[in-house]
Amino acid sequence: MSRKLVHTPEGVRDIYGDEKAKKTIVEGLLHEIIEGYGYRDIQTPTFEFFDVFSKEVGTTPSKELYKFFDKEGNTLVLRPDFTPSIARCAAKYFMDEDVPIRFCYQGNTFTNTSELQGKLKESTQMGAELVGDASVQADAEMIAMTIEALCHAGLSDFQISVGNLEYFKGICAEAGLDEETELELREYISGKNYFGAEELLERTHVDAKDKELLLKVSELFGNAAIFEEAKKAASNERSRNAIVRLEEVYQVLCDYGVEKYVSFDLGMLSKYNYYTGIIFKGYTYGVGDAIVKGGRYDNLLGRFGKNAPAIGFMIVVDDLLAAMGRQHIAIADNNDIEKIYYNTSNFTEKLEEAKQLRAAGKKVELSHE
Amino acid sequence: MSEDRYLTFALGKGRLANKTMELFEKIGITCEEMKDKDSRKLIFVNEELKLRFFLAKGPDVPTYVEYGAADIGVVGKDTIMEENRRVYEVLDLGYGKCRMCVCGPRSAEELLKHHEMIRVASKYPNIAKDYFYNKKHQTVDIIKLNGSVELGPIVQLADVIVDIVETGSTLRENGLEVLEEICPLSARMIVNQVSMQMEPERIKKLITDLRREL
Repeated sequence: MSRKLVHTPEGVRDIYGDEKAKKTIVEGLLHEIIEGYGYRDIQTPTFEFFDVFSKEVGTTPSKELYKFFDKEGNTLVLRPDFTPSIARCAAKYFMDEDVPIRFCYQGNTFTNTSELQGKLKESTQMGAELVGDASVQADAEMIAMTIEALCHAGLSDFQISVGNLEYFKGICAEAGLDEETELELREYISGKNYFGAEELLERTHVDAKDKELLLKVSELFGNAAIFEEAKKAASNERSRNAIVRLEEVYQVLCDYGVEKYVSFDLGMLSKYNYYTGIIFKGYTYGVGDAIVKGGRYDNLLGRFGKNAPAIGFMIVVDDLLAAMGRQHIAIADNNDIEKIYYNTSNFTEKLEEAKQLRAAGKKVELSHE
Repeated sequence: MSEDRYLTFALGKGRLANKTMELFEKIGITCEEMKDKDSRKLIFVNEELKLRFFLAKGPDVPTYVEYGAADIGVVGKDTIMEENRRVYEVLDLGYGKCRMCVCGPRSAEELLKHHEMIRVASKYPNIAKDYFYNKKHQTVDIIKLNGSVELGPIVQLADVIVDIVETGSTLRENGLEVLEEICPLSARMIVNQVSMQMEPERIKKLITDLRREL
């Protein structure tokens, strides 16, 4: 064995044996639910043209993309997430379609993050996208489906935190913030960094009332009770509509009967620029980051030439498995493999025996004595 | 969510930890076990309030918090900037005040006015890099040192250093001075993202109580 050859590069790893078996099972369970909602599988290429994931689309920063060239000198990128690819597909193949289209996907994504921070550069995602439906019911379907999928996989102690970017944007517009300040403020508020936001606003010419409002956004998280508070705080129409939307979504989620898993966070402002309205993240103990990320991206398809609203989510399967492992959640893997031994004289009999068992649905390993 | 879950705090070792416990005591959070200086324990528990505390080396605090090994951490801003971890930075605790500065002999001041390549020694390579690349647009060669960074310009390993300045007396004794200030620093409270979402009430109350004391 060559010592050097058996290593994998930093940030990628082999998954085998029981761990892989469990991963396959969990993926199957998640998929069952998504399929049950009428979503159909789609497979897109592992790498695409750089422009699909460019800054204008608003996905992963360029320096975290794996880039290489084809023979003609085009820059290609290993996909860092699926949503832009799905949007591209939807625009290409369903250009004239008016009815909602439901996609679900599963595969590996690649981000070139910094070394030694304990994060993998290749991770498996499973997700769904609903294109061409701008309704409240579509928002709720996504969230309810996420919850049901996680429950079905065996997770019980988790929270889906739902926000609406429009609330924050409405207040920013009212306060007349320039784009640069808004971006910086977004960072502070999504980091729940109250005093950082305060310091930034001290430097701008925002009047005291708007300042207070903007700062309040970082504190507006919790259960449905925050709606009242949020409404009282913001008087502009855009922000108010954002709350009305959340209330309506909440109502539908109650109809689904999943409200106990749902909380709200108006300070949740994704770093993905393509999100436009409702966004949500799923949290559970055992991993430090969200295991589910999703939201509405009504302008993204327009980039590819089809004007259609859309909403989607993805589950980071590897993180979900890590969390389940740390929470000691059993994953039932049917790993009973029967062993049949043969020798040179009785091989045909043993083979016949194995064939019958296999036909009966048993797992059989045939080995030499 | 679960009532009996411990809330775990990671505190940066040393003065910061003592100051933090003093502050926590004011809002009714105590940990008698921690006051016993001879204790060899690594984790201190307050059973009544379901709290756990442990001391860690400063740069490790954001790491513990990011992975959820601790729900809440208290550490200097310098560490947060250098480590750049995904955590919520929720409070400026106001103590442990100092500044992150570019320092060197007065003669080096001229070097900072141009975009020429210079050598910078620091315990904080990420902060130094961010400052020179993104704010000053100056090309620099960064040398990571692990202590006594002031030596750098003296033995001519580097032109300037990027380091924390409290009173500036070490600098003065060695013929160095503050050439540029990068940013003010102080102790910060950081919170794990998942913990904040899973137990918003408990953590929100802690933040509100602390903010009132500050």
